[in-house]
Amino acid sequence: MNSVKKYSNNVNPNWCPGCGHFSILRGIQVAADHLKIPNERLVVASGIGCSGRLSGYMNSYSFHGIHGRILPVAQGIKFANKDLVVIAAGGDGDGFAIGTNHTLHAMRRNLNITYIVLNNQVYGLTKGHTSPLSEVGFVTKSTPAGASDIPLKPGVLSLSAGVTFLAQSFSGFQEQMIDLMIKGIQHEGFSFINVFSPCVTFNKVNTYQWYRENLKDVTEDKDYDSTNFQMAMGKLIETDGLCTGLIYQNTDTQRETKLYPTSQTPLVQQNLNISIDEFNKIIDYHK
Amino acid sequence: MKKQLSIIIGGIQGEGIVSAGSHLIKILSRLGYYGVGSRRFSSRIKGGNAAMEITISTKKIMAVEDKIDIILALDKDTILLYKESLKDDGMILYDNILSVEEDSCCKMISLPITESAKKVGTPVMKTTAAIGFIGKILELPSTTLKDYFKKRFINKGERIQNGNMKVLEETLVYEETIHDAIKKPLVPPEEKIVRPVMIGNEVIALGALMAGCRFMAAYPITPASEIMEYLGKLFPKYGGIMIQVEDEIAAINMTIGAGYAGVRSMTATSGPGISLMTEGIGMAGMSEVPVVVVDCQRVGPSTGMPTKHEQSDLFTLYYGGHGDYPSIILTPSTVEECFEDIIKAFNLAEKYQCPVILISDLMLSLSPQTIEPLDYSTVEVNRGSLIKEEELKRIEEGEYKRFLITEDGISPRSIPGMEGGIHHVTTVEHSEKGLPTEDLSIRKEMVDKRLEKIKPLHQEKNIKLIKNGSSTLYLAIGSTFGVLKEAVELSSNKVDFGTLRMLKPLPIDALHTIFQHYEKIVVLENNYSQQLTSIIKDKIGYHQKLEGFVKYDGSSFTVTEIIEKIGGKQ
Repeated sequence: MNSVKKYSNNVNPNWCPGCGHFSILRGIQVAADHLKIPNERLVVASGIGCSGRLSGYMNSYSFHGIHGRILPVAQGIKFANKDLVVIAAGGDGDGFAIGTNHTLHAMRRNLNITYIVLNNQVYGLTKGHTSPLSEVGFVTKSTPAGASDIPLKPGVLSLSAGVTFLAQSFSGFQEQMIDLMIKGIQHEGFSFINVFSPCVTFNKVNTYQWYRENLKDVTEDKDYDSTNFQMAMGKLIETDGLCTGLIYQNTDTQRETKLYPTSQTPLVQQNLNISIDEFNKIIDYHK
Repeated sequence: MKKQLSIIIGGIQGEGIVSAGSHLIKILSRLGYYGVGSRRFSSRIKGGNAAMEITISTKKIMAVEDKIDIILALDKDTILLYKESLKDDGMILYDNILSVEEDSCCKMISLPITESAKKVGTPVMKTTAAIGFIGKILELPSTTLKDYFKKRFINKGERIQNGNMKVLEETLVYEETIHDAIKKPLVPPEEKIVRPVMIGNEVIALGALMAGCRFMAAYPITPASEIMEYLGKLFPKYGGIMIQVEDEIAAINMTIGAGYAGVRSMTATSGPGISLMTEGIGMAGMSEVPVVVVDCQRVGPSTGMPTKHEQSDLFTLYYGGHGDYPSIILTPSTVEECFEDIIKAFNLAEKYQCPVILISDLMLSLSPQTIEPLDYSTVEVNRGSLIKEEELKRIEEGEYKRFLITEDGISPRSIPGMEGGIHHVTTVEHSEKGLPTEDLSIRKEMVDKRLEKIKPLHQEKNIKLIKNGSSTLYLAIGSTFGVLKEAVELSSNKVDFGTLRMLKPLPIDALHTIFQHYEKIVVLENNYSQQLTSIIKDKIGYHQKLEGFVKYDGSSFTVTEIIEKIGGKQ
């Protein structure tokens, strides 16, 4: 069985032909197969928008939540059962408009989950509205005179929020993307993968061609050290965020284990019974 | 000798006034008395006046008295604010460092409170001195006081423990201004049983732990924070996690994530948090994920009065949220019922796979009181139709239907990690397998399934009624029930009264049967729009018989106000 088939539920995606999201869905399936994640131990959670549909095409446990809130759901799942592999996916609106707050705090919290943003710099499902990642001047139905707000910078923003794994890729770079997804899933902490994923219907500016011409691979720079925070920040500033590859990884994994101070047993397997002696001990405190 | 006595301890906020009140109730509960306290504080952390009123009685008591026997003042404001509330034979005890003018209103006794604390301990130990002096005036056994403080400060280090013990002893040997004429001994208690003293929020947290809850995500808010604080303390010992998150939206969504993954999970908040959580609660209804939400109501709307009491979230919880979805609302009226109901909440959430909301209010959540022993044997963990992996193995591969249409609307639930139980959950309308659909007939079937599954609850009785043979029935939920009960006990006019234990689904059949017997039903509630009265009218009618009696100034009803309403004399 090929890897795409193993992790596909055979539902035909409702994305437009040529949409960058097909490549990302395939990427997740190949990465899962490479890591031999049992289907029932994989949970893919996604938000709302074209990207949000992704979880509905996986042959795994999957959760399609409400707009902008998928990171809290994904973290709740991971808190409940740390033995699961949890991948959250969403669009640029999900992660950097309505859900920006959760994105930054999830990075601070550094739970061992992977967050993939399917970034097309536009709202596709609502049929063409500006996104917080759209460039200034970008014309949409809601910004007929061109977008005026300064776009957020996901890379710089996540580094300042303390993200411990930051990678960027492009739907057109399957091999690199899959490699980064594998590394991200393996990373012991929160991994954020920002994938440029062209919207062929509503974004006529940031096209496949445009990304190919503008993206720089960080490994082109022979001295690039992805464990160097300052270098990562520098590269993002130098390329105005238009770079791909493993941009930053902090391999200090101490932080995550602190969240489970008492037990290595997942919450979902904890004994729910509390003995009468324990109960009385608690009550005695109140006397 | 008195059977019942009320004291106000007041001082500057942040001086430990509230805990002093709780200590006093605990000391008296060790002797077999019942006590109840009512916190009075403003939003400011330091600087303002803080006061705690406590009523001590030989019988179970759920609301403080209106009139006070003793004011213990650690600041001047306490005297000014509360001297009008003194009984005819009431007296004021005050710290002798305050420059207080003699007042003809009552007996005034100066006590070296700060002085004693400074002399043998540190100034912060003045609340210990205050408790010592009250103990002396009530003629409490000094061994009980000493034993309590020994236990209380056992983990605080030798310096703090010794200091407080010395301060206490200093007060116990003081004689100068405490002569026999001012002593107010209490009638001995009926039984010498040592009962616990807890606030509603602590009992909710403890009940959640006992019910098997092992995850809580929450955002601090008055008056709900004690639940997250206490579970944060208890959980690590029993393999659970409490986490403070970025906002209430994260709290509800994370709680749902954990609930979906198979852990009994909860969040707790107050009105502003409920507003933010509403979309999430709807998601739990749509995706059929069990989740428990506690709402400790305070004055709204918007920021309202964060430290004041109200019962005005009923509409938003009963009708709130977009679209039709099932939810269950429990309304405990006593601290003991908080224990019973939070356990019930977790069982109902898993049985019916929907959000269950437990409504408390500021007074119920925060007022410490002596409670009857919580019954360990009533703790039951029933996980509903959570499917077992063996059962999944019997289902043909790929044929498991998470949202299977069944006779009772409840579908066997698998959780991530279970082989053979893989499924998609979506907040979009979905098929039995959980896949998005726009099929009109499936849409209707699914709405029916989700909303009708909780219908059997309408038949449950969920009403508590105390009959005295009157033609008018008085109803109240939450902490108002306790005040109503005290009022009826003290009033010359004994009326029938009761409370609802479940607001949604409303116990329709039982209410019909009961209402037929009365000429009038008066519903006491702390909000402007008669929210409870309106919900009952909406669901079962009786527009002519039902009458709302409301108070919405931020304080709860007093016993006197209710006695006046029921037409009796004290």
